[in-house]
Amino acid sequence: MSERSALELTESPGLRFDHLFESNYNAIYRYCARRLGRSDAEDAAADVFTVAWRRLDDMPEGDARRAWLFGVAHRVVGGQYRSRERRSRLSTRLEQTTQLNDGEREPADDIDTLLTALDGLSRTDQEMLRLSSWDGLTRSEIAHVLGIKENAVDQRLHRARSRLKLRFDHLNNEASSLTQKETPA
Amino acid sequence: MIELLERADPAKDLDADRSRLRGKIDERIGISAPLRPAQSRFRRPWLIAVASFAAVVAVAVPVALRTDPPSVFAPNLDGLDAHPGVQAAVPLASGGLQAMDAEGDTIWVMTTLQKLLQKVSAQSGEIEATYPIEARVEGVVVGGGGLWLTSPDNGGEVLRFDPEAGAVDLIIPIGALPGWSNWFGDSLWVGTGEGQVIRISSEGEILSTLPGELIGGEGLGYLWANDPSTDLISSLSDNGQVGELVIPTERGLETMSGSGIRQVAEADGRLFLLDGDHPWGTNLNVYDPASGEFGAFTGLTFGLLDLIEFDGSLWVTSSSDHVLIRIDPRSGEQHRYPLPGKPGGLAVADGALWVTLYHRGALIRLDTGADLIEMGPIVVDDWNRFPHRLLCTGSGESGGPKVILQPSDWIDYGSWSVIQAELSSEGYVVCSNGYLEGETTPQQQAADLEQALSEAGISGPYVLAAAVDGVHAARLFADERDDVAGIVLVDPMPVGYQDFYDDLLPDLAGHPPWLDLDVQVSQSLDGIGDVPLIVIEQDPDSVFQSGPFIDGVGPEAAEAVNTYWQDGLAFYAALSTDSRSVIANGSGLDMVIWDHPDLVIEQILDLVRR
Repeated sequence: MSERSALELTESPGLRFDHLFESNYNAIYRYCARRLGRSDAEDAAADVFTVAWRRLDDMPEGDARRAWLFGVAHRVVGGQYRSRERRSRLSTRLEQTTQLNDGEREPADDIDTLLTALDGLSRTDQEMLRLSSWDGLTRSEIAHVLGIKENAVDQRLHRARSRLKLRFDHLNNEASSLTQKETPA
Repeated sequence: MIELLERADPAKDLDADRSRLRGKIDERIGISAPLRPAQSRFRRPWLIAVASFAAVVAVAVPVALRTDPPSVFAPNLDGLDAHPGVQAAVPLASGGLQAMDAEGDTIWVMTTLQKLLQKVSAQSGEIEATYPIEARVEGVVVGGGGLWLTSPDNGGEVLRFDPEAGAVDLIIPIGALPGWSNWFGDSLWVGTGEGQVIRISSEGEILSTLPGELIGGEGLGYLWANDPSTDLISSLSDNGQVGELVIPTERGLETMSGSGIRQVAEADGRLFLLDGDHPWGTNLNVYDPASGEFGAFTGLTFGLLDLIEFDGSLWVTSSSDHVLIRIDPRSGEQHRYPLPGKPGGLAVADGALWVTLYHRGALIRLDTGADLIEMGPIVVDDWNRFPHRLLCTGSGESGGPKVILQPSDWIDYGSWSVIQAELSSEGYVVCSNGYLEGETTPQQQAADLEQALSEAGISGPYVLAAAVDGVHAARLFADERDDVAGIVLVDPMPVGYQDFYDDLLPDLAGHPPWLDLDVQVSQSLDGIGDVPLIVIEQDPDSVFQSGPFIDGVGPEAAEAVNTYWQDGLAFYAALSTDSRSVIANGSGLDMVIWDHPDLVIEQILDLVRR
């Protein structure tokens, strides 16, 4: 039990939250869409901001807010990953999401192959690559979201990229081999 | 490889529906709001004033005006006093989230984001005091000679407010985020998001912590709690004993939400249980402790928000339909009374029923014994294409055209409820066409309307009435039809307004999305010939030519916005060779269909009776 004047608090939580939302809502929505598919993204993003509202007292000041919010998103999405049902629907939804942009991608084969390669990596590697290349997080932000040291980010990112390239090349070689086999002599 | 990976981002071109996302967040925040929540169900009100400049500017945006009147302006209560049954209209601190509780002739209302607690005299209808509370208070409970405020701050806490001192005198950390709370017996009972019920003495001591999800309200001499692990609803005695009565949810109650029962109330010796949070939560369950039998009054409507027993009847607010529903606890007979705003919480004080109106920032006292307007007989309630809905009311005994009402896309579905009821009472068939949630396009609105009317057998001729950005759907529907007998455009938004506005005032572009019509699509539409057309305009002197707006955006931008808007009005008026314009004098800070309902009704009737 503690006593406190009603006027002690000077910052407006509503204002802080509104700024947080306005600055980040699209980024968080996309973060969720990349991992859960478009149809679940909005609900997940709403969950993220709801948690943020509830945990506003934990929110750091300044630039660290963005990393903190992504950390919240990481945990919210992680919770949904753990749902077996949702996980089984994930690949289908990601495919659907991907198909939405087919007309804009070039060359489509390379991107499809890359996404297949990405899908074959460990979840840790996938997350590292997504945070870096898709969510646009900095090294220190990734470290905050994943709860690791910045040096570890560099190492893991390097390894994840290497494994992605290996797998991508492997898939391309496989496709090339198949094409040769199917081509009449 | 990195560049290719960036290009492969499946979400790089995805944009969130800002307004809808904000609405969901608001809904989630509101879900946990304890006693008597008054939160938005489907649409989040626009941001409360965040700073004086931004606040002044915000009122210049039609959307902002009509959702959350910023603090620099008094809430717009025009027309509220004239609404049948409204005995008093109290302006609250702002529109937006409110929590309320009452005792005797005193009502306490907390406007959450404004962080203002107000004491209202139910006898005089006056605000007796306003207190700043520097915490995010989501629940208000009167009891034990004091006032208890629940807040998610600092991981969850309860604040005891001393009304005499006008200050918080005690803070009780509860270690979990609070949900519903009730004063019951000699204790405060607080449910938490961790599935606990915490009992607190009037001295602020935590007496016990029990497992379970506390349900709002009380009945049969008990509090009640969901036990999600067993699907049972257990009673809580005032001495802390659990389970003297147990209701099996799965076998006994019809729940559509999967989140259990939201609220309870007692009437006629039985327990009434409102389904949990769900847009389709249309059931009010009944449990008879004498016989052990279960039943349900189904088909109430959407967006059920609050439940209370008063004067022998059960009262439920529907935030989507903007109606107050009165239910006879014995027969289940329902009466739906439209309200001049989005209803939120209910309370009884000074022997009368009080309702918060969310967007209006108002608290009204309703004379339930008065001759209240009713929605009239329902002819069609089609939500087969949910969230699309077509609700038609009225006997049709007067003949004449059917009236189709098209709300603005960003306002609740039921925003026309008063006008629909008034027109229905004149003997006409009146339909509201719109969406209970989600995003749409004018083209989709027009197509869904056409299909729903066809399936329902509601044939023309039609008089269309559309508000703000709903005008685009009305134009598309009317295009190349010969069964449209007249059109009323209420405060119509010009074509291309969103792009114009965002280009002119990019710093203010973070408004909720307006439903716009592509300029080329607009140009492809024919005029409507000599079909009678009435354009009801907002009053420029209270909006774009008002002092606050000019001060906020500067005189040049204000002039540009006003010119664009006026050009748009002229464009609409020129669509018909038989058109006229009417100005809703003094309108501006709120919706014309709310602050000038009589004017809108008069113009629609003028066309219907021609």
